Amino acid sequence: MSAQKKRNFKIEAFKHRVELDPNYAERTWKVLEHAIHEIYNHNASGLSFEELYRNAYNMVLHKYGEKLYTGLVNTMTGHLKEIARSIEAAQGDFFLEELNVKWGDHNKALQMIRDILMYMDRTFVHSSHKTPVHELGLNIWRDNIIHSSKIQTRLLDMLLDLIHRERTGEVINRGLMRNITKMLMDLGSSVYQEDFEKPFLEVSASFYSVESQQLIECCDCGEYLRKAERRLSEEIERVSHYLDVKSEVKITSVVEGEMIANHMQRLVHMENSGLVSMLVDDKYEDLSRMYNLFRRVPNGLSTIKDVMNSHLRETGKQLVSDPEKLKDPVDFVQNLLNEKDKYDKIISKAFNNDKTFQNALNSSFEYFINLNNRSPEFISLYVDDKLRKGLKGVSEEDVEVVLDKVMMLFRYLQEKDVFEKYYKQHLAKRLLSGKSVSDDTERSMIVKLKTECGYQFTSKLEGMFTDMKTSVDTMQGFYASQYSEIGDGPTLAVQVLTTGSWPTQPNAPCNLPAEIHVICEKFRTYYLGTHTGRRLTWQTNMGTADIKATFGMGQKHELNVSTYQMCILMLFNSVDRLTYGEIEQATEIPPSDLKRCLQSLACVKGKNVLRKEPMSKDIAEDDAFYFNDKFTSKFIKVKIGTVAAQKESEPEKQETRQRVEEDRKPQIEAAIVRIMKSRRVLDHNTIVTEVTSQLQSRFLPNPVVIKKRIESLIEREFLERDKADRKLYRYLA
Amino acid sequence: MHKLGRGHRDKVQQFMAITGSSEKAAVQALKASDWHLEGAFDIFYSQPHIRTVTDSRHLEELYNRYKDPYVDMILVDGITLLCNDLQVDPQDIVMLVVSWHMKAATMCEFSRQEFIGGLQYLGIDTIEKFRDKLSYMRSELKDEQKFREIYNFAFGWAKEKGQKSLALDTAIGMWQLLFAERHWPLVDHWCQFLQVRHNKAISRDTWSQLLEFAKTVDLQLSNYDEEGAWPYLIDEFVEYLTENGIVQRGQN
Repeated sequence: MSAQKKRNFKIEAFKHRVELDPNYAERTWKVLEHAIHEIYNHNASGLSFEELYRNAYNMVLHKYGEKLYTGLVNTMTGHLKEIARSIEAAQGDFFLEELNVKWGDHNKALQMIRDILMYMDRTFVHSSHKTPVHELGLNIWRDNIIHSSKIQTRLLDMLLDLIHRERTGEVINRGLMRNITKMLMDLGSSVYQEDFEKPFLEVSASFYSVESQQLIECCDCGEYLRKAERRLSEEIERVSHYLDVKSEVKITSVVEGEMIANHMQRLVHMENSGLVSMLVDDKYEDLSRMYNLFRRVPNGLSTIKDVMNSHLRETGKQLVSDPEKLKDPVDFVQNLLNEKDKYDKIISKAFNNDKTFQNALNSSFEYFINLNNRSPEFISLYVDDKLRKGLKGVSEEDVEVVLDKVMMLFRYLQEKDVFEKYYKQHLAKRLLSGKSVSDDTERSMIVKLKTECGYQFTSKLEGMFTDMKTSVDTMQGFYASQYSEIGDGPTLAVQVLTTGSWPTQPNAPCNLPAEIHVICEKFRTYYLGTHTGRRLTWQTNMGTADIKATFGMGQKHELNVSTYQMCILMLFNSVDRLTYGEIEQATEIPPSDLKRCLQSLACVKGKNVLRKEPMSKDIAEDDAFYFNDKFTSKFIKVKIGTVAAQKESEPEKQETRQRVEEDRKPQIEAAIVRIMKSRRVLDHNTIVTEVTSQLQSRFLPNPVVIKKRIESLIEREFLERDKADRKLYRYLA
Repeated sequence: MHKLGRGHRDKVQQFMAITGSSEKAAVQALKASDWHLEGAFDIFYSQPHIRTVTDSRHLEELYNRYKDPYVDMILVDGITLLCNDLQVDPQDIVMLVVSWHMKAATMCEFSRQEFIGGLQYLGIDTIEKFRDKLSYMRSELKDEQKFREIYNFAFGWAKEKGQKSLALDTAIGMWQLLFAERHWPLVDHWCQFLQVRHNKAISRDTWSQLLEFAKTVDLQLSNYDEEGAWPYLIDEFVEYLTENGIVQRGQN
């Protein structure tokens, strides 16, 4: 203590070094050394923490930190060497137990020692950059126990052996395992990885390599996948119970690699049990398992997708090219819808609604639907069938569902303009024969088409509906007017069709029976009276008639026939027998139509109101026709003549296709002109690309056709070739 | 003249014979074209002030000699006579060159304007001068640029008045004629192809593009580019050649 002066308050350090007794350090150390021994001998209870702490503190304070530290190292090392020997001596399974116990002891000891030496830890260790006590303790353990030559390999082998045994079905002591691995982790992540994890992964890899080889030889695909899935979850469980959590992703990738990635192709293509047969048999669970397993490995999902794709394309190709399946258009489309349903279900139930699979599905459908160029026609016939009778009695929501599904198929069509042509034809027939199931359903379909293709697509179709409605009003007006004084003449029902909205048919007028002719003219006068400037042409090839007929035995029937057929039958009111030639002359019906009408009147069982001589099916010039007095039918009303839409005959199909091609030419030209007008100068390839993209919602233009249209436009001086670069075209204003 | 070398002297003489110019003009033109005869011709004829002045009375006489008695045009008979006087075959391609110079609208007839105007331009007012000019005109066909112009001119000239396209037979005849001057080995196949596969008139675009095709695409068709915006008829011709094994495409 220095004297206190009033002005300077100063505490001065010792002016001289206090020399400690040189033995002091040694004595103090001995105390501590003894304490360490006692701690390791489980005799710590007799020690005084306070005294030991003070001793350690003093040593450090008096600059004997080095001695203390070194002493600690040596002492601890000595003890651990002893412990090592006792562990090495342990027999068999007790090895791990012993190790575990001794580790626990060491940790407890280490804690106590660290507490005692805390001052050194905080000051001396820190300033001289030595390893802190706790860490030091772990390192010494690591170096002397874990890395002891007699222990290191034995430890690893034991661990791996236990894991192997567990994998083969034995129960092992998981708690013990956990402690050991935790010990390794505590010793440092590099210890865990080098001394355990790495070899563990290697051994696991060869284990699973062998197992997968065995399994793949004897299991079918589904079974194999189940087993693989089980192994995977086993490993994950193992990690959660007694391994470092970071090992999970490493071991799972080993399993995935060995069991799945290496055998992917073989699994997928396995005969009778691979992906294809799973798809065919709708094995949702197996497919789902495959999806979940394969998504873990690179290219797994794309492998599944590719195989599914090519299988689907094959199946689809068969569906559209098999001549058996092409016989009935409605079945054809139903098959397509069923196939789509099937795969939609698979993708939603087993493939997690994966978008890439959806896209693959769509592209496959688009591919094979367009392989058959009658697809547009058939889809229209399917809708026709549904709208006629197929949807009778079906609830509104279900109707919507069916139509929506059809729309999905429609979207796949590349030649939508062909569909449009057929749809128009079929719709016309439905409307005119009054055979449509419900007006609402028809309209609903039109709305869907409009949403998909735009206003232009459906404007004409809507025009057809308007005409039907207007015609009803017109008829009411007609019968209310003075023109309809007929008495007991025929009753007329006229549908006035706007040309341009309805499909054009070449029409050759025929000779109508007199009484019909009269009332038709009356109607014409009435109509033109209210609508000046219009022209009416009777479409005798599209009409129908109901005739009351009385046969030989007095039986009366009502015959529902086409207009042509009516003309023919009415002739028999005045004569009993007519030859083909005479009928042709009298009616002026075109020969091909006439033959068909006569066939349906004379050659069909149950509908033969006429008799033909000779009885053959074909109509020849000199064939004679008689009114069939002996005609009978159990129905009062007999329907003769087909007005229902049918799939076209070959020549009709050619004709329609030709018309479609003709219609496409102006559309292509319009597109070219539009594009050139805005771009002014373009090279050939760009024009082709632009035109294709502009028209693709309706059809896929043929590049050769586009070229021809360009040349035609050059000739008509809409375009010219650039003088310098012949590949460039220029718009001529 | 004695100052010039032998070769140059010959050229000067040739030049004078063909153009009917003076020696001075001949030497001038040849010097300017570095003693290349064809270049000298070009220079000579493109210099208006060197052009020989023609006597319009002579021109009238000439025209009247050939003109048709009923119509103010030179028609077939007149042309036959003209060819006779010139000692050329009416089918000779040089007549095409003549028509080109005259900017004749249709083959086998010349209007007054065309005939007189053309001869004036060429500096011709007598049959002798006309005859002399013929070998020069023949030589013009050897010039790439002029050949193209003459070729393209031929389309409009050979087709019927009021038609947009050229009748196939006429086209084939013209092609035979033209490609005799500028050799194209595939011309016979082309004509055959057209008769077999096309059998319709030829459009102007196809006509002019054919020359490009003949000039740029080699006989193995190895540098034929399908994306090359050739008229579709030419695309079909290429197909025809490969299908019938006339050409092995691609590798040489």
